[in-house]
Amino acid sequence: MDLMHHSSTFLLPTIPLHHGPSLTYALVVLNQTLPRFAPLLWKHAQLRLCADGGANRVFDEMPLLFPEEDASDVRRRYKPDVIKGDMDSIRKEVLDFYRSLGTEIIDKSHDQDTTDLHKCITYIRDFAPDVNKSSLCILVAGALGGRYDHEMGNLNVLYCFSALRIVLLSDDSLIYLLPRTHHHEIHIQTSVEGPHCGLIPIGVPSRSSTTTGLRWNLNNTEMRFGGLISSSNIVVGEKVTVQSDTDLLWTISIKKL
Amino acid sequence: MPLLFPEEDASDVRRRYKPDVIKGDMDSIRKEVLDFYRSLGTEIIDKSHDQDTTDLHKCITYIRDFAPDVNKSSQLCILVAGALGGRYDHEMGNLNVLYCFSALRIVLLSDDSLIYLLPRTHHHEIHIQTSVEGPHCGLIPIGVPSRSSTTTGLRWNLNNTEMRFGGLISSSNIVVGEKVTVQSDTDLLWTISIKKL
Repeated sequence: MDLMHHSSTFLLPTIPLHHGPSLTYALVVLNQTLPRFAPLLWKHAQLRLCADGGANRVFDEMPLLFPEEDASDVRRRYKPDVIKGDMDSIRKEVLDFYRSLGTEIIDKSHDQDTTDLHKCITYIRDFAPDVNKSSLCILVAGALGGRYDHEMGNLNVLYCFSALRIVLLSDDSLIYLLPRTHHHEIHIQTSVEGPHCGLIPIGVPSRSSTTTGLRWNLNNTEMRFGGLISSSNIVVGEKVTVQSDTDLLWTISIKKL
Repeated sequence: MPLLFPEEDASDVRRRYKPDVIKGDMDSIRKEVLDFYRSLGTEIIDKSHDQDTTDLHKCITYIRDFAPDVNKSSQLCILVAGALGGRYDHEMGNLNVLYCFSALRIVLLSDDSLIYLLPRTHHHEIHIQTSVEGPHCGLIPIGVPSRSSTTTGLRWNLNNTEMRFGGLISSSNIVVGEKVTVQSDTDLLWTISIKKL
């Protein structure tokens, strides 16, 4: 079984060149309050999309993260490449503003079968030019919190696109899938994340999971909802390994700096 | 609590909203807060030695096993504020509490949504309080795929439909009218939006 490496270098001010496989980042902004590190994610991303009302968030809230600067300058600097979705949340003034700056607007209002995040992931996977898909990592801001059915729908997107690296981010936590097809090495960026973490068998019980590097490691341990799940765990040191018979959700806390 | 009654004196509000019990491992409560409520007669149950269960789990256990004057056999329903949002591993641990205590009615509440378990052992009728909740809702097969779920009263009803993570889950659904029925071969999580009034 192949080894898959994970590292939250997208939370670092600059991405070290020598670190593991180099990834290309795309950013999707959903319609929740921007995390305080949104400008950092924006900087690392080669492609920036807003899902519908996510454009309102960038328009309204990016200037708030740079209170000493002129709001118009900030808005011009943080211009999304694409705005996609069913367009039922984005304000007309916001749409017109970004359209006039050259943002590509993709109106999918006829498609009610998939969530806005799903549409954005599909776009990145199938159509985004100049992005090396084999080393792609999609960062999603605003996927957690708010309406709970939305949060669950966003979580399901991780499972539907299990061949892609997708990271859901809030101010407090980040989460991504550890596919059962691989052994996993997670390199902990201790300056920005941890120590609180968890491994969650969301869709299917796990008959056997094994870890190293946690305060309470699993050792061929069963996990299931209604029984044991690994929450309120702690990372010890800088490397965690995970292998499991099912897709597990990895979550780790983000430090408040 | 005082912030929710800005026109009243903070001390008066605090005395009025005095918890009966404070329970947990006591690593977050401030000393001044602990002393304040202890002096008012709140029962303090220090479980700092027990690191195997979450604070919510400890509280549910307390209510189930020890709470006096609460009629457990009939219609106890435990409402939980603050279970969602924040650290995601905490949120998942709180969700797991619903599954661990599936024989109890437990409702997790945030500003935006409420969620509770629909045990597979029963058919379910959900009476929608349209003045305060809805219309956005979902049915989520957490923990185990569902081979067959059936509903009425939703915009997109399920009809012996399979649901699983990685495939179809019922999110961004809409309640139509005032009654929803659900039956399933697995425990499903029901969630509905709370109206901002």
